[in-house]
Amino acid sequence: MPPRRDAEFIVSDGSEPEDDDLDEDYVASRAARARKGKGKGKELAGDSRKAQDQSYAWEASYKRSWDTVQEDEAGSLQAAVQDLVARSKRRRLLGGDAPIRRTIIRHMMLLMDLSTAMLDRDMRPSRFDLTLSYAREFVGEWFDQNPLGQMGVVGMRNGVGERIGEMSGNPQEVLKCFADKTKLEPAGEPSLQNSIEMARASMSHLPTHSSREILILFGSLTTVDPGNIHDTVDACLRDQIRISIVSLSAEMKICRDMCERTGGVFGVALNEGHYKDLLFELVPPPAEKSSASHLAAKAAANESELMQMGFPTRLPSTAPPSLCVCHSRLRSEGYICPRCNSKVCDVPTDCDICGLMIVSSPHLARSYHHLFPAPAYKAIVELDGSEAPTCHGCSQPFPTAARDRNLVPEEGMSPFGRYRCPKCKHDFDAECDMFVHDVLHVCPGCG
Amino acid sequence: MKFNIDGLPIVFPYDRIYPEQYSYMCDLKRTLDAQGHGVLEMPSGTGKTVSLLSLIVSYQRHSPHPRKLIYCSRTVPEIEKALSELQRLMKYRISQAETPEERAKEEGFMGLGLTSRKNLCLHPEVSKEKKGKVVDARCRDLTNSAVCERGRADPGSVPLCDWHEKLGEKEPGNLIPPGIYTLAEVLQYGRDEGVCPYFTIRRMMPFVDVIIYSFHYLLDPKVAEQVSKEFSKDSIVVFDEAHNIDNVCLESLSIDLTRPMLDSAARSVVKLTEKIEEIKETDASKLQDEYAKLVEGLQETNNDGPDEDAFITNPVLPDDLLKEAVPGNIRKAEHFVAFLKRLVEYLKTRMRVLHVVAETPLSFLQHLKDITYIERRPLRFCAERLQSLVRTLELSKLDEHSALQKVASFATLVATYEKGFLLILEPFETETATVPNPIFHFTCLDPSLAIKPVFERFSSVVITSGTISPLDMYPKMLQFTPVIQESYPMTLTRNCFLPLVITRGSDQVAVSSRFEVRNDPAVVRNFGSILIEYSKIVPDGIVAFFPSYLYMESIVAAWNDMGILNEVWKNKLIFVETPDANETSIALENYRRACNNGRGAVMLSVARGKVSEGIDFDHNYGRAVIMFGVPYQYTQSRILRARLEYLRDAYRIRESEFLAFDAMRTAAQCVGRVLRGKTDWGLMVFADKRYARADKRAKLPRWMNQYITETASNLSTDMAIVLSKLFMRQISQNPNENQTGSRTRGRGTNASR
Repeated sequence: MPPRRDAEFIVSDGSEPEDDDLDEDYVASRAARARKGKGKGKELAGDSRKAQDQSYAWEASYKRSWDTVQEDEAGSLQAAVQDLVARSKRRRLLGGDAPIRRTIIRHMMLLMDLSTAMLDRDMRPSRFDLTLSYAREFVGEWFDQNPLGQMGVVGMRNGVGERIGEMSGNPQEVLKCFADKTKLEPAGEPSLQNSIEMARASMSHLPTHSSREILILFGSLTTVDPGNIHDTVDACLRDQIRISIVSLSAEMKICRDMCERTGGVFGVALNEGHYKDLLFELVPPPAEKSSASHLAAKAAANESELMQMGFPTRLPSTAPPSLCVCHSRLRSEGYICPRCNSKVCDVPTDCDICGLMIVSSPHLARSYHHLFPAPAYKAIVELDGSEAPTCHGCSQPFPTAARDRNLVPEEGMSPFGRYRCPKCKHDFDAECDMFVHDVLHVCPGCG
Repeated sequence: MKFNIDGLPIVFPYDRIYPEQYSYMCDLKRTLDAQGHGVLEMPSGTGKTVSLLSLIVSYQRHSPHPRKLIYCSRTVPEIEKALSELQRLMKYRISQAETPEERAKEEGFMGLGLTSRKNLCLHPEVSKEKKGKVVDARCRDLTNSAVCERGRADPGSVPLCDWHEKLGEKEPGNLIPPGIYTLAEVLQYGRDEGVCPYFTIRRMMPFVDVIIYSFHYLLDPKVAEQVSKEFSKDSIVVFDEAHNIDNVCLESLSIDLTRPMLDSAARSVVKLTEKIEEIKETDASKLQDEYAKLVEGLQETNNDGPDEDAFITNPVLPDDLLKEAVPGNIRKAEHFVAFLKRLVEYLKTRMRVLHVVAETPLSFLQHLKDITYIERRPLRFCAERLQSLVRTLELSKLDEHSALQKVASFATLVATYEKGFLLILEPFETETATVPNPIFHFTCLDPSLAIKPVFERFSSVVITSGTISPLDMYPKMLQFTPVIQESYPMTLTRNCFLPLVITRGSDQVAVSSRFEVRNDPAVVRNFGSILIEYSKIVPDGIVAFFPSYLYMESIVAAWNDMGILNEVWKNKLIFVETPDANETSIALENYRRACNNGRGAVMLSVARGKVSEGIDFDHNYGRAVIMFGVPYQYTQSRILRARLEYLRDAYRIRESEFLAFDAMRTAAQCVGRVLRGKTDWGLMVFADKRYARADKRAKLPRWMNQYITETASNLSTDMAIVLSKLFMRQISQNPNENQTGSRTRGRGTNASR
């Protein structure tokens, strides 16, 4: 599941000075304290001091979320909290569902900054540890959503690019790269150019039907390059490599340029939660670059780029053990390549013997959901009395009355918690809506 | 976009307008209506130029008697920018014109920019000269009226400039089709048509609606007399980027003489004598004619020659010019040369003194009279007499005589003014030097002198800049009464800059560039750690300003010993500004490159230096600017002390008040370099405990001040770093979407990029 922005963690935009008077917030903050149950005790002690002063520097990063919360008649905050959570959840779902040409066979090089800048502790526990753990989650999620994809890992430290993991379609192998933390100890300065060149070289042989992407997790604000990095960017542009960067500190001109020119995404993480959000936004395959000339040329040549795939025979665990071609280990389970009959341990992969791409049909089907996504549900704003009383997904009853609150109605939020599929006209609640779009990718009502 | 201000229809070339632009235009209109002067402050990059031009052009168009706009800017790039902004405006106006007549009227609008011969010359040889002075002199050799006459009478006898000659064939007043031309376009036009761009502009100046040129053409009496005397009284004068206008005024009336210059002047005198002898033998009547003319009065000789003849014009302001005949004792050429010789010799002897002398012009004249019997009256005519002599002798290669010209100007000035000037002789360059290198400063102490004719002549003078706070200082110093005096806040959809005042290091030791503590290791180290920390967290470029070269040198040396520079090197490259312009421009070029390719760089530069004045550090070229210390002027300077004294006596401006004002405007100017528009963002770090004081901060421009919060006004380094990090993360979030600021892309200062 994609991560959610922690409600308490949203950074204030800092546009208006917080001239809050603590006496008014007294009740609310006490309630919030009870809810959060962690160190805000000083607020109370310091109220007289605070009243004339502005908020403390160390508090500046946190929105006083309790100020935006209102109690209902019974004095409970639960509804308000649920509302906030639902809001932040909905925010991500509001993407369009127009048919977009996407690449489902993806190749990605993950470039990790391993420079000393990663030792900074402005993200807990440290940029490096956080990046490692998020990278693990990311790899899992990525392969889950893109079963046909392949990923490699390059580290940037001491001014060179280090190949940490070869391009592989097996999530386990990629995850192995992150297993040994001591091997990845940050040192020196990063070199964007060297690392991108290395990533580029390892993707240069790929066929045209696959996407080539570079994802850079960048903590440093400098890069030590042997040559002109702009040439490298030009080369990437020629090779149709898409570069996306998640920066942990601030916007660098070259990074933004690089992303904009190659059609990637550039983001700067505000905090831990936002970092994860930015990272996981890169999980779904990107829309294919609508370079009209490129597509037109293809259409003219009537070249629909067929590719060969094999659907293997799965051996049950009761099958007689035999050696696999990938690890040369004696195992009973495995898959038989339909072309050369060799046995591999895991799919999807390229057959080591004949080079055929071996996929299982569920994998292929899973990859398809990006191309034919479940339609975005519409929020029901007004009832006309003919609705189903329960959620079509989980059969939980819907609330009958609109939540009576003077909160600003946000786009895509239903006051009744009802979200309707535009095709099958069934109503779903917020939870099911999330589940359908994030996990299932198929509308149960339509199916 | 069209709208009305008090019944005046305005055409504004953009779809939306900021509130501050609107109120700026309203105030400007009121100033023009009242036929008075105004001081207006609006932050750079908010479309100041476009609002100004759009209002004034609309104003010109609406009124039955169009008033000419004289727009003065400081540097050539700024002139070019203003011209292209005007071009854009007129294109828009033409497209918006409703009837064909209106359209034709808009198309007939003319706007030109003027810059020096050096930038506009097309002559294959002359244009290759590197020094502006040499280009001027060589151009005059080829184009002055005597040479032209002779060349036309007898083609081939003297070299003439073809481009200048071609110009004569055209109909005067129609040398270039109407429209707006940037300098580059005039050059191209000159190339295509084979005419001289410089003289095209000069001769078209009476016919244009808008003229854009540099301050000097209006303020420096030597140039103003030639270039700007034809403008009518109701012209609208605008000084843009005028925060240093008082210094420009002072410079235009001050003269420094050195030993080598006097030597060269003496050589020129000898040459003049030889030439006179030669002429006497060949063409004695010429000298006789001149003598006769001088008896009648010098003024007439001045008026009949075309303007390009002037080799040296009177450095005195037009009002102070004597309208009488040249005194008898210098009418004869030989006498005048002997007179000059005596004067130069006298100055030379004065230079031999090994102690500092400061005296008023009166006492100088008295001493001069006692020693050499030179009276005040002939001295006043020195410059004019020299001009007349040079014309009579038809000298060429006038740049060789520039030293003599300086001496003559000096003599004229010293004999004309009693108040507001001081003569200072400094025998040594620095306090510790033992080898004498005397400089004779003739300094103007009163900035209002040079600008007074401008205020008197023109009914509306507008002084505007991004940083001219406190506003009431300027009317006081320049002695005028403004109708409108206003500073505008900046409307921002996001806080695109963060001013921070760091008063102490992480170890809680106060940081300051005060003289007593500035070399204290703790202070130096804390300054260093500020630089290190910021080099770690700021992407791309950082600009750091020091109060003086001297201090920068000592602190950088100390940082090197402490290993601070090595730390900075890990994150950014370091570039240093030097007094040498070429070195600095190379440093700047490489700095830009480092900012572009992601390596990141720090530019160490000096407040009041070249970098702090004319160079923009927009976008990635300056993500943070750190002001180390308060940039007070060097208070031991005798010239400054004299000036302070004068300000106190004449205008009752206290010394400390002026110094603080000057320091804060310099600081504002420096940190303002980083923000050149609303899409831009940057940090502004003031590192000195004195910035925490409210009286200092009150002198900063309002748009800057309004964003200095209480919390940010007294920080230690670590707290500042936390705030800065946070700021940068937030500002880096998708800058281009749904921001009103994004509208500024491709407009204002960005338009020409």
